[in-house]
Amino acid sequence: MLRDWLSDTVSDIRYRFRAVFRRGTVERELDDELRFHLEQEARKLEATGLAPDEALRRARLAFGGVERIKDDTRDVSGVSWLETFGQDLRYAVRGLRARPAFTASVVLTLGLGIGANVAMFSIVDQLLLRVPPYLRDPGRVHRVYLTTTSRKGRDVTEGTTEYTRYLDLTRFTKTLDATAAFAERNFAIGTGEDARELPVGIVSASFWSFFDAPPAIGRYFSAREDTAPIGAPVVVLSYAYWQARYGGSPNVIGQTVQVGPAPCTIIGVAPKGFVGIADEGDPAVFIPATLYGYGVSMERSRIDYHTTYHWGWLYVLVRRKPGITTEAASADLTRAYQLSWEAERAMSPRLRTAEAARARASVEPVVRERGPNASPVAKVAVWIAGVATIVLLIACANVANLLLARALSRRREIALRLALGASRGRLLAQLLTESLTLGALGGVAGLAAAQWGGAILRALFLRDAGALDVVRDTRTLAFAGAAALMAGVLTGLVPALQAGRASLAPALKAGVREGTYQRSRTRTALLVLQGALSVLLLVGAGLFVRSLHNVRSIRLGYDVDPVLYVSPNLRGLRLPASERAQLARRLVEQARTIPDVVAAARGISVPFWSTEGTGFYVPGVDSVGSLGRFTIQMASADYFRTVGTRVLRGRGITEADRADGEPVAVVSEGMAELVWPGKDAIGKCIMLDSPSAPCQRVVGVVENIHQTSLTEIQKLQFYVPIEQLRPEEAVLFVRTHGDASLHADQVRRQLQKVMPGAGYVTVTPMRDIIDPRQRAWQLGATMFLVFGVLALVLAAVGLYSVIAYAVAQRTQEIGVRIALGAGVRDVMRLVLGEGMRVAVIGIAIGGAVALWASRWVGPMLFSVSPRDPVIYGLVAVVLLVAAALASAVPALRASRVDPNVALRSD
Amino acid sequence: MTEQERLDLPQGTLDLLILKAISLGPMHGWAISERLRDVSKAMLQIPQGSLYPALHRLERRGWISAEWGASDNNRRAKYYELTRSGRNQLQREADAWRTLTTAVSLVLDMG
Repeated sequence: MLRDWLSDTVSDIRYRFRAVFRRGTVERELDDELRFHLEQEARKLEATGLAPDEALRRARLAFGGVERIKDDTRDVSGVSWLETFGQDLRYAVRGLRARPAFTASVVLTLGLGIGANVAMFSIVDQLLLRVPPYLRDPGRVHRVYLTTTSRKGRDVTEGTTEYTRYLDLTRFTKTLDATAAFAERNFAIGTGEDARELPVGIVSASFWSFFDAPPAIGRYFSAREDTAPIGAPVVVLSYAYWQARYGGSPNVIGQTVQVGPAPCTIIGVAPKGFVGIADEGDPAVFIPATLYGYGVSMERSRIDYHTTYHWGWLYVLVRRKPGITTEAASADLTRAYQLSWEAERAMSPRLRTAEAARARASVEPVVRERGPNASPVAKVAVWIAGVATIVLLIACANVANLLLARALSRRREIALRLALGASRGRLLAQLLTESLTLGALGGVAGLAAAQWGGAILRALFLRDAGALDVVRDTRTLAFAGAAALMAGVLTGLVPALQAGRASLAPALKAGVREGTYQRSRTRTALLVLQGALSVLLLVGAGLFVRSLHNVRSIRLGYDVDPVLYVSPNLRGLRLPASERAQLARRLVEQARTIPDVVAAARGISVPFWSTEGTGFYVPGVDSVGSLGRFTIQMASADYFRTVGTRVLRGRGITEADRADGEPVAVVSEGMAELVWPGKDAIGKCIMLDSPSAPCQRVVGVVENIHQTSLTEIQKLQFYVPIEQLRPEEAVLFVRTHGDASLHADQVRRQLQKVMPGAGYVTVTPMRDIIDPRQRAWQLGATMFLVFGVLALVLAAVGLYSVIAYAVAQRTQEIGVRIALGAGVRDVMRLVLGEGMRVAVIGIAIGGAVALWASRWVGPMLFSVSPRDPVIYGLVAVVLLVAAALASAVPALRASRVDPNVALRSD
Repeated sequence: MTEQERLDLPQGTLDLLILKAISLGPMHGWAISERLRDVSKAMLQIPQGSLYPALHRLERRGWISAEWGASDNNRRAKYYELTRSGRNQLQREADAWRTLTTAVSLVLDMG
């Protein structure tokens, strides 16, 4: 049975192969074969006494139509569809080559639309769709998120948690196959000139078991090397870093490399393409979680990261046991979380109970952007992908109109072919082949556009990710192919259907001018569609631009552009507190000597990057904690002038506030109003950490600042002199003339001179810290604007070409009108009226859809109503102007039609 | 035999007839046509041309194989021969045909 099937298949393939590649021979053989039959039959009939030509005639009769038989035989070959397709393709290509302008404009239009989509797809794919490479059993792997409900009833979901919590969850759960901890931080790797800050993957030993990725060389760290509290100083290199830094040499095993403050021994290299779970950037190296925990704890002199719950820094990765549902796993984790919570309460009795806090855990997708704390950037990316689709639709509508116009001008040819016996199906197939060819060309153009233009987009959306080569990525290529196919089918369908319905008689009538103008409802509908879609995009653009403007003009409570944030790093050098305090003071003094520096001061917390809170007591107020969340900043003299926070009443922190001076404090306006309502805060007391602490007298009130969120104002901050509390901390703020980023390098070099040993300073302009918070709005505004303008241009060009074509077709009619007395204004009004009508209907429909969709876009805006009438009005005006311009040129041409020329018979 | 008295062949039966005709030895298309006409005592009048699409289809399916040779009057002709799988196919189709006709006859003789 099988042997038969095998030989049959071979024979089938061989036959088809010959039919395609040995066409000539096959044709000749068929010819010979049939001719032989006829001759034999004729001979037989001659033998009965007939004359030779009579015999041949009878033979032919008995045989049947030779050409028909040949056709039937060819159909049997199983490749006739291929030949038909080949014919159609050649015909289509010939037709396109004969009209280069038409082809170029179509390919360009489609290329822009497809290119935009391909670029956005690769970004969305990178952000949302890609599973970390090498992940084993991705369906069973999740990231854990912990949720509590605040006293005000708001749910707070966090992915990062403490190492102790991770140990608890591992210990108390029953439904999990494996757990791991992971995080990512930037560290200086290497020493001296070669030292560069790179992302470092911080992972538990169990992390490696989640992946099916045997090391390229060496091994991964084992549980023994990752035991709390002290982790072994070992490191695993990433393949890329191994190639770049060590040239792929196999001798790296055993060598030492400095990772941050710790010299680590290289024990292995991960395989090519392995990045662990790279939330931010691709890690260059991987170190054990306990090593990091220990290292950071050392700087704080408190090695309790594995027993206390103060410091949350890692994500927890889990794998469900087979057969366990996600609900069961979440329930199990919730129970474990509650047990862990009780353990925490044993240490901090003032914590609410787990029930009061409604502590719960859930398993979520591994990809962070798909989880509950997706960054706004990911959401914007998805929206922009939708926008790109709309642009493609507009492009397709344009091309469809162009093809429609062309099909109309070929009406006579099509009618003739139908009359000669071509089936409508074949005609349809041929028209579709044409549009599919255009689609394919557009797809290629789109890939090229995405490759070049996409680099810019990727830089905007995926700052830290490596460059993705669009052309070599199979998923993107597949998407481009699908987009090209869809474009081809969409654009070809409308004219093909119309052509199929064409009735023959009127088209074939003699005397009918080639392609008389016919008002086409389809064409108008397509134009209206384009207009409506453009309105949609432009409204979105207006909303986002306004949001961005609002975000940018928020008064943050401090200045961003002229301020630098300086972070010194001792690189593992241990100094006693007094020497560190000296270093800190020397850094400030040195900074003040730099030309262009206006002021310098120290602090401990940095807006958006690190916040500290501490308990404090106020006489007369029962529980300050129930009033809200307060953050503390310890500042040196001149702090407020340096960062630009306005002092509203009283004074700021000065040189006089030394360690031996009176304990003072400065509070924010919001805090003053909340803690001492109706009274003057100046002169009141705050006690830090315990009610018996010395009274820090309030000496000044400053404006509120944005500490952790751009959109919500947090009003509760207070400031104490750093010299009185933590003089050894040394984070600096430096204010320069003009734009701080221009002076960043100079400041770094000058301050580097003060640093002891291998220490170094990192200087970051505040703009770089604030900008990422605004990134989502920035992206939304930029992309919507770019695509909105693109859509408008496409729609305007579409309108122009349709009206120009209409004018060309109606030349005779216009000539008649002019001959009958119509003036220039009347003709222009006639043509312009067409364009404006389309625009008005488009605006109406687009505006209605935008209003309806406003509820989804609302949450992404800032201080802008999604139904802002000013923006809608502006967009309407823009569209009307564009339509007027697009119609004006053909209108002018129409008005200049010479009736003598137009009325001449063809 | 007039036009009206010619029997119309049910679909697919032509393949069966061709396979059977060739089963006795290699033949070219015209010979097959003659053989079918002779053996069925001219009851089967197949338009001769319709043989060729069927022959080519059978060739593609691998049930018959073709080879160019010399005819008895020394002309070049394409000879078709039954393959092994073709022989199996012939057996299968013949059995199926016999089963079908027996069943139909039984029904017709019913009452």
